[in-house]
Amino acid sequence: MRSSTRFPFLSDPRAAGARALATWARKRQGEDALPLLLRPRRVYILPTRSGVAAGSLLFVMLLAGLNYNNSLALLLCFMLSGVAIVSMYECHRMLVGLKIEAGHVEPSFAGRGGELTLQFANDDSRTRARLAVRCGPCAVTRFALPPAAVQVVRVCYPGLTRGRTRLPRLELSSDAPLGLFRVWCWLHLPLEALVYPAPVGQRPLPPMSGPGRSGRQRTSQSGEEDWAWLRPFREGDTPRNVAWKAYARGGPLLVSHYEAPCGAHRLLDFEPLQDLSLEQRLSQLTQWVLDCEQRGASYRLVLPGRKVPQRAGAAQRRVCLEALALYPP
Amino acid sequence: MSPSVPKAAPVAGAVVAASVDASDPGERAPAQTVALVLAALLGAVALNLHHTAIWCAPLALAVAAWRARNWRTRPKLPGLALRTAAVILLAGAAVLHYRSGGSMGAAASLLVVCATLKLSETSSRRDWLVVLSAALFLLLAAVLDEQSFWRLPLYAVELWLLCSGLYALGAGRDAPSPATLLMSSGRSLAAALPLAVVLFLFFPRLPGAFWAVPNPNQAVTGLGNELDPGSITQLTASSEPAMRVRFAGALPPLRQRYWRGPVLHDFDGSIWFRGPPNLSAPAPLQYGGTRYQYEISLEPNEHRVLLAMDVPTARPQGLDSVWTYDYQLISRTPLLHPVSYQLTSYSEHRDPAMLSPVERELDLDLRREGHRNPRSAQLAQQLRASADSDAAYVSAVLDYLRKGGFSYTLDPPALGPDSIDDLLFRTRLGFCGHYASAFAMLMRAGGVPAHVVTGYLGGEWNRFGDYLLVRQSAAHAWDEVWLEGRGWVRVDPTAVVSPSSLSDQLAGLLPGIPGGAGRPITATWLLSSAQAWQAANAWWQDRVVGFNFTRQLSLLEQLDLGSMQWRALVWVVAAAGALWLALMAWAQRPRAGRSADALGRAWRDLERKLELSVAARAPHEGPLAFAERVGRLRPELGASIRSLARRYARLRYGPAASAAELAQFRNAVRAWRPRLRRPRAPPRR
Repeated sequence: MRSSTRFPFLSDPRAAGARALATWARKRQGEDALPLLLRPRRVYILPTRSGVAAGSLLFVMLLAGLNYNNSLALLLCFMLSGVAIVSMYECHRMLVGLKIEAGHVEPSFAGRGGELTLQFANDDSRTRARLAVRCGPCAVTRFALPPAAVQVVRVCYPGLTRGRTRLPRLELSSDAPLGLFRVWCWLHLPLEALVYPAPVGQRPLPPMSGPGRSGRQRTSQSGEEDWAWLRPFREGDTPRNVAWKAYARGGPLLVSHYEAPCGAHRLLDFEPLQDLSLEQRLSQLTQWVLDCEQRGASYRLVLPGRKVPQRAGAAQRRVCLEALALYPP
Repeated sequence: MSPSVPKAAPVAGAVVAASVDASDPGERAPAQTVALVLAALLGAVALNLHHTAIWCAPLALAVAAWRARNWRTRPKLPGLALRTAAVILLAGAAVLHYRSGGSMGAAASLLVVCATLKLSETSSRRDWLVVLSAALFLLLAAVLDEQSFWRLPLYAVELWLLCSGLYALGAGRDAPSPATLLMSSGRSLAAALPLAVVLFLFFPRLPGAFWAVPNPNQAVTGLGNELDPGSITQLTASSEPAMRVRFAGALPPLRQRYWRGPVLHDFDGSIWFRGPPNLSAPAPLQYGGTRYQYEISLEPNEHRVLLAMDVPTARPQGLDSVWTYDYQLISRTPLLHPVSYQLTSYSEHRDPAMLSPVERELDLDLRREGHRNPRSAQLAQQLRASADSDAAYVSAVLDYLRKGGFSYTLDPPALGPDSIDDLLFRTRLGFCGHYASAFAMLMRAGGVPAHVVTGYLGGEWNRFGDYLLVRQSAAHAWDEVWLEGRGWVRVDPTAVVSPSSLSDQLAGLLPGIPGGAGRPITATWLLSSAQAWQAANAWWQDRVVGFNFTRQLSLLEQLDLGSMQWRALVWVVAAAGALWLALMAWAQRPRAGRSADALGRAWRDLERKLELSVAARAPHEGPLAFAERVGRLRPELGASIRSLARRYARLRYGPAASAAELAQFRNAVRAWRPRLRRPRAPPRR
């Protein structure tokens, strides 16, 4: 369709409508700040498909009652309509007054998506049931908040671009108690995700270097570290290094510890990867950081304008990935 | 965070990561939901027992039991061909039930079939919702068909069950216990009741119907379209109410309480039939004597005749009816439900005009009779010859009946083909139908136009409801003869034959006719409780079931809104609806709730004691850190608050605390008071 390039809403009017609605809501509600109390003004409610179906059933019932002038049928119809309207108020109450106390976004890799946690507090005397949070096109997290309770909820967020990236708006909804109405609100929370480059790259790890390299030939050609000893399992150890055979024999949970020669480390350098584009280079470096981390190796990262000194462990991984995410500094 | 907002402590026990769930529409219904929906469905089927096909209830019961046994899994279904065959067979059987059960019975049977077939394949929440909707429509079918007062509680319970099922399905996988569901749905229903009452009273009603469904199989006891002396016997056995009459002002004397129904003109020698359906409009009458205004609530009947006391002055308003030449009020629509209408009658009326030739011929006609009853015709000739006027002839015939040795019985011997001859000269036993028939025949044979009128006589006074209850057992037949200058005059030959039986019936002392199966009156309290029940029933039939367009108009007139007509209804509905909506919004405002966590509540009490006087706990602060800070701010509280915080931490994070330890901690918090140090006023100079 020729016109679709000039008028995108013609090719996909639904998406265009949703975009316009999102822009309007953002403009209307403004930026949110934590902690956030949901006020009625920003809580929207509409009948669901089953709500519309129930409405038409009630209308048929009304017609039957009026036609036969059957008082009891009318009374039944009016009672059910009353229950439906009460359920509308109850549905609205599922969100109004709900408090979002804090939010924390776990870092993620570009295009892969991650998790954020939100802390909800319910001060109401009723359970807030069938709550659902969704971030962009990700899977929905469902939960319920008992009266006067605080709950931390994990929510998936979609894959984002590298850097410090703002999360798409969150949608919090509920269709309790009857499923006839759906109440929802859009949250534009000031939450940013630290998005590392996507770990992609086929290049082999740079070989070990450093002072111990020439002295003791304990490392193999490929630059692998040597197996040193078994140590007890600690929280955070990668399952790949667990000595499963020993565990299967009934022993304690032990972890293989690899050790590079004293002072030996790998240099993860930005410069030599000149044949790749910037993002590909960063992706390759990220892949290397993860590989090193998995082996428990110690490494240092050199980026133009940023040098991360030689270390190993989770902290080193975090520092390096952060540097890669925020490059250029 | 402002201290006025109640905070719940973010305690370890409450921090739960929720599960990610993408497959919502297909989620399974838990056990209590299934139980509630099945109960609602079976309840709805039970309420339709009286008009569904006989196999419906066992079918529903069997399928529900089978489904309840393995509710967790999606049942394995037979092949498509077998399923299609089952659908066609059952639906066909339900449709065939139209012959015996009427349209509503067939519809209800079809609904039962749909619900049970759907039930056999339910797995997701949506499937159960379909079953519940079918149950809802079954309730509607029951309500459309049966509106007796005693069924009201059953309907209410069923509605409650249905709403609980809705709540259960709405809650999805984490549906609360059935008791909680019943409670929340009960609360909603209670909230909906005021709106329903207002809408019931003020939602604009229709004067007629959009469409009418003919219902040929409706079997209603009552007066028939024909009088075969013998059909009345069946009526007298029934103590069902036929109608209720409420008088504005004085009650008519006992002798006036003749409730005029179908008029029978055609006589074939033994059976009387109603005449040709339409002739001319009724001739105007001159009314005199006492004026009676009354309102009749008529139970459904098959002959469409709106009964009235003798001849009313005009057609009732608000009902689509015609007034025939023989002063019958006939409804244009079938009387499938009770109707109410207001009429005015007088104790006397006369028609000074001449009887039209057509009517005269009709009411003198004995041709269909042929040459039966020769002895009766001969008797008529004899009596007529000796009488010098029509009136004298009437008296002569009545005299003959009085003195001829006739007696009254509800169990008369069978009559031959010459039925009138048999009655007058052989058996001399009969009831109102026999005597009315014989009298009319004698009148016609003697040249006096006459017809038989069927209807009711008398009625019981109900002192609780201030109305006259006329039962089917009060069915009666009498005659009207044309006397020149007076018009149609009512003659009741049964009163001549057996004055005592008639006066008993008029006084309402005995139901039915002596010798019939009447209710013995054993005790006054029994009578009065029965009357109270009848009055409640009558109120229900009258004010609730019988509430219609006319009633709505009169209600508006009572409220002085009558001149506004339907605009008043719109305004009342809008105003009351808005008020109700506002009330609901107020009732559903968020309210501070009580946490289920008793330990957290106790700690929160402690925080509240410190909030205003010392410090509020910051959101990031744990209890121990908070206690340290309080200790620094107010050293004299330090020791006690630290020990309380340690106890809290031990109870919260240590090994599971017993109820007694928890209660001790709560009491300790309750007893603990930070001694308030008043800020000292600066010393005066």
